[in-house]
Amino acid sequence: MRPSLRIASLIIALPPLAIVVWLFFIPFLSSAHLSFLREDQWTLRNYSLVWRLYRYDILYTLWIAFVSLAAVLLIAVLLCGYLRVHTNKPVEFLFKIPLFIPFVVVGHAMRVLLAPKGTLNSVLSQVGLINLNDPPSIAFGWMGIAVSLIWKNLALAVLLVLGAYRSVDETYLEAARNFGASAFRQIRDILLPMSAASLAVAGAFMFTSMLASFSVPLMIGSGEPPQMVMIDVYYRINYQGDYGTANALGVVSYLLAMGVAGYYLRTITQKET
Amino acid sequence: MFMRRQVLRMAGTVLAAVIIFGPLSSLVIWSFAEKWYWPHLFPQQVGLFYWSKVLQGDMLRALQSGFLIAVVVTVLTLVITVPLAYLLARTPIPFKPVILMIFLLPQAFPQLPVFVNSTTLLYRINQGGKLWGVVLIHMVGALVFAVWTMTAVFKSVPESLEEAAINLGASRLKSFFSVALPLATPGIIASTLLVFLYSLDEFTGTLLVGSPFILTLPVFMYRTSVGYELQVASISALLLMVPGIVLLILLERYMKSEYLSMFGRI
Repeated sequence: MRPSLRIASLIIALPPLAIVVWLFFIPFLSSAHLSFLREDQWTLRNYSLVWRLYRYDILYTLWIAFVSLAAVLLIAVLLCGYLRVHTNKPVEFLFKIPLFIPFVVVGHAMRVLLAPKGTLNSVLSQVGLINLNDPPSIAFGWMGIAVSLIWKNLALAVLLVLGAYRSVDETYLEAARNFGASAFRQIRDILLPMSAASLAVAGAFMFTSMLASFSVPLMIGSGEPPQMVMIDVYYRINYQGDYGTANALGVVSYLLAMGVAGYYLRTITQKET
Repeated sequence: MFMRRQVLRMAGTVLAAVIIFGPLSSLVIWSFAEKWYWPHLFPQQVGLFYWSKVLQGDMLRALQSGFLIAVVVTVLTLVITVPLAYLLARTPIPFKPVILMIFLLPQAFPQLPVFVNSTTLLYRINQGGKLWGVVLIHMVGALVFAVWTMTAVFKSVPESLEEAAINLGASRLKSFFSVALPLATPGIIASTLLVFLYSLDEFTGTLLVGSPFILTLPVFMYRTSVGYELQVASISALLLMVPGIVLLILLERYMKSEYLSMFGRI
């Protein structure tokens, strides 16, 4: 590249880079810095506080993320296999809808649906499946959060997995069908192994997004422990103004995301460069 | 055999419709419910009372400021992203891996703990709780989304067409404006619309930076829902869904998975 062009391209790159560095990269580093400070003193007290107060919340968050991710991947792998083998446009379209419904709306809709006095319980009571004197509550617990995360992420998973399946050459499937392979065998033996890499990237992305989910647990969480980690960070700041502990908890959440984040970053940048 | 397959297919489609529309349908019912005593299946009294009530007052203001913010975010993002995306797609721009990495970080790590500190930075320059502060925090996510999608768009324009123009004596600038840009326009429009939608739907950054002075529809909905104003919240939720559904129908054909994977976040 000519030197003048190099300078011109750096000038063009500067404004968007500056915004992301200023409002994401620097705050990201400063949360690591602040997590070791308490009353301007270097200390590990914030982390010991995180261990004392929030270790069960961290396990709770991991549990919800793992369960939701497993459910989403299982459903998506089978559903997309079906959609790849027998095309079904209406179903494909339906599963794109949640992609465009923000998490807050999903949280509110699930809260109305799954609360003890929610729509689902009143429907179930009409057919006599539940006792109204003691209505079960799916919202306000881990199941409500998991159901919402699954519902929303399923759309993304279907989109990505179906894309990966579609790039598998039709001739492989035809060959398998000629030998009498059922739809399930075609998924298990051809589609799944051949799109494993894209599936792993999609899974990594969804896992971080589930760990980091904030609006859903804010809408349908119980307000009592255990809470998801993001809610703890928000409450720590909003009600206690305790930036040290909140940032230590933030750093723990980065570390939880780190393994998959590293994998995700590496694959995507390798693909681009 | 043929009949059985048809019936199964039908049943599958209906099941998918129930899974998708089930949670959304109670929003519709709640938005028209004037009196609804539990555990009745349907409201005792339905009407447009709450719709007429919310289309004035606080919600209208939230709608207006959210719309204004989204327009500003979209225009600014578009202007600064298109040239960069072109460079990333076509030239060995210096520090390319570093630049790409920085534009991926917000996707790879939890946002909230970072935005907590961004909010502090914005308050330091006196933009906390102000319109520009919210615009800037929206731009972080919008830029990430726009850079990745628009780079993909420019990559899909065949490079040979531009090489032909350059061989015939056009400058890089000229080939950008008269070859690459026109061919990339449909993709850029799609990506711009999605940036607009991102900004309309953004919640975390708006709640942290904007509260309590700047109210957009998602934050308004959150407040009314946890305050058990279920009708008002449900109407806001329905209004929030409209732009997304319209875009889905408009853009269905153009939507590629690389455009949309970033949408897992809002």
